[in-house]
Amino acid sequence: MRFIFKTDYEQDIKLFQHGGAWWSYGLLFAVLAVAPYLIGSYLQSQLVFVFIYAIVGVALMILVGFTGQGSIGHAAFLAIGAYTAAFLQARGYPFEVYFPVAGILTGVVGAIVGIPALRLHGIYLLIATISFAFIVEEVLARWESVTHGNEGMRVRAVEFFGQTVSRDSNSFYFLCLGILVLVIIGTLNLMRSPTGRAFIAIRDSETAAKSMGIDLAKYKVRSFAISAAITGLAGTLYAHKMSFISPEMFTLLLSIEFIMVIIIGGAFGLHGAILGAIFIVMVDPLITMLKDDLPGMVASLSRGFGVGEEGARAVQDRLYAIFSAPGLKGAIYGLIIIMFVLFEPMGLYGRWLKIKLYFQLFPLYKKATFRRQKTYVKSERNR
Amino acid sequence: MSLHMLKMSLLGAALAVVAGPALAQTKVTNQGISAKEIVIGTHQDLSGPIKVWGVPVLNGMKLAVEEVNAKGGIHGRLLKLIAEDSAYEPRKAVLATQKMVERDKIFAMIGPMGSPTVLAAQDILFEAGIPQLFPLTAAEFTYKFDASKPQERLKFNNLLPYVESTRAIVKYMIPEKKIQKPCVMSQDDEYGKNVLDGFTQQVEAMKMKPASITTYKRGASDFSAQAAKLKADGCDMVVLGTIIRETIGVVAEAKKIGFEPVWLGATPVCVLEVPALGKGVVEGLYSGCGFEVPYRDTAKGKVKEWAEAYFKMYNAEPNTQAVIGYNTIMTFAHYANLAGKDLTGQKLLTALESGDVFQDIFASPPTKFSNTNHLASTITQISVIENGRWKTVKDGLSF
Repeated sequence: MRFIFKTDYEQDIKLFQHGGAWWSYGLLFAVLAVAPYLIGSYLQSQLVFVFIYAIVGVALMILVGFTGQGSIGHAAFLAIGAYTAAFLQARGYPFEVYFPVAGILTGVVGAIVGIPALRLHGIYLLIATISFAFIVEEVLARWESVTHGNEGMRVRAVEFFGQTVSRDSNSFYFLCLGILVLVIIGTLNLMRSPTGRAFIAIRDSETAAKSMGIDLAKYKVRSFAISAAITGLAGTLYAHKMSFISPEMFTLLLSIEFIMVIIIGGAFGLHGAILGAIFIVMVDPLITMLKDDLPGMVASLSRGFGVGEEGARAVQDRLYAIFSAPGLKGAIYGLIIIMFVLFEPMGLYGRWLKIKLYFQLFPLYKKATFRRQKTYVKSERNR
Repeated sequence: MSLHMLKMSLLGAALAVVAGPALAQTKVTNQGISAKEIVIGTHQDLSGPIKVWGVPVLNGMKLAVEEVNAKGGIHGRLLKLIAEDSAYEPRKAVLATQKMVERDKIFAMIGPMGSPTVLAAQDILFEAGIPQLFPLTAAEFTYKFDASKPQERLKFNNLLPYVESTRAIVKYMIPEKKIQKPCVMSQDDEYGKNVLDGFTQQVEAMKMKPASITTYKRGASDFSAQAAKLKADGCDMVVLGTIIRETIGVVAEAKKIGFEPVWLGATPVCVLEVPALGKGVVEGLYSGCGFEVPYRDTAKGKVKEWAEAYFKMYNAEPNTQAVIGYNTIMTFAHYANLAGKDLTGQKLLTALESGDVFQDIFASPPTKFSNTNHLASTITQISVIENGRWKTVKDGLSF
């Protein structure tokens, strides 16, 4: 068990609480830096999608995990970022111009959406954000002079300071990774600033926050704006990775997928956003891989048990038929998510913390450590 | 003799000059071809919003693969079909395509499903030199290519584009039914937009005006507003840029308010599910069709054999989607056969562009490509629902 001996108040807001963290993050970074040279474009694409989803995850974490406001409309912010990029790129602006513009514009829209959030709570706020997403989808389909309507828009490769960065190149991988790292560091800094503390105060109790002099309106709008802006940045990358965007790509389903990123990851820390993104993006290819390779493995295993060549082949064919049944992948995926929500409400990051603590406290670990402590007081019902 | 030699070599040189730049630059892969196998790939929507298309299409493809392999394959090489589920999500289509290109080493991508999914993934194929053959979307980008971009030569399509087929059926129906007030109702997406465009272009070409244009959102289930509007605008023919449920929904809704115009569906309406689920409501509905809809009990000859084989394999009645899937593989097999014993990517491309005609067993319009045209045909036909079955009214239509 590690005890951090604090001798200075500054230690509380350090990005890394102890030296070990430097080592583990350094190692992770080194692996990510050499990865594109070792893996094929298939795995690299998956990682790029993980980065993009993680950026959206971080954005949602600020809004949902830290400020306690819900949103099922983040696909709309992604769409605004993506379309801003496509629109400006078609008019000859380079990436270094439209990337920040997409962020700022989406941030402004986010602030506007944030205004009704001042009066709405819980499920009513969710409904408002869903409606917003529908409006955006509708506008994208109708405003043909800008968005080309339902025909969609082609998005060319990134032009970054005169260099062409194709969507499957290592440079694009590093571009996405770099932006993710910047977004994470930015968010960590935000969360240890007065603004971030205000967000957390609002999440924990609006009444208490208000009584401490926090301007609820200001901070809620700010949270929406920041979250939207970061999502807009991710939208730019998303557009480039897809090379084609159309309104039907930014549906409610995508918003729900983003919400799942933070729920599965664990909606209480940035680690959760990253782990959730890895899960959402990689589970599908993983099931595909199992579908392709598992029957062969089982067959060779049964050969080992002396089933004979014919039997092994029959087993392989039968398993392959079962695994390629249409819709099975979706069912497995759904099942995993239900399991998570039922048995692991703190998500992947929560599970990781529990495992870590188990070994740190061994043999004194007790389950009750993670039992939900918070109980609502009467005054909170009329926040 | 020497003169003949000279002539030949001159001809050869001339051909090289003419065809050289275009042919030489298109990079075509040879991966996926081994002594015993040709590996081909597809991505379908098996669990998403259009799985009612994806699943039977894949069934049809698998049936075709079995049939080709049972006859000894293509010059002794058996077909191996790799199929992935895209769930109609471009992200999954991109990943599935990369996986098939990289891990499964496919030689050709055949019949991938959907516009956004195919568009998002097609550059990956072209970069790797893999032909994209007969995708299941009738959009222009699947066959129109820019001669200055050699990799774009790798795309071919054999589905009727919605704009062209809609124009052809509207052109036939307006004088036939003495239509005065043509109207359209279309789905609010790329498919519906194509139908709408085809409709407006043709109506304007015939010096008429659309009497009413209305749309609906994909997944909608209530069409009372649309039906009321179409009725109020006095439509005598309504072109439907719809799919299955919406077709039945709007026709039923119109019947309720006593509005019975001539209904004319775009080609995706021409599926078995419409009469099967719509029952009496959709009697008399017209639709553009790519080919004659097969029925297992009334089919004859090769179509009958095919329908029985399909039923035996899947214990389900064959439908138009299955025909389309089946045809993608059979068309590929035809041209791969033509390419010869020592099949290469370049030879397949040459065979496809040779102008050789492929005729399927369903009496579809003949398939034929050239080095400037990568769309198989623009000919369509009209069918009507009679006693719960599709019946061909007129074939060989174009505009």
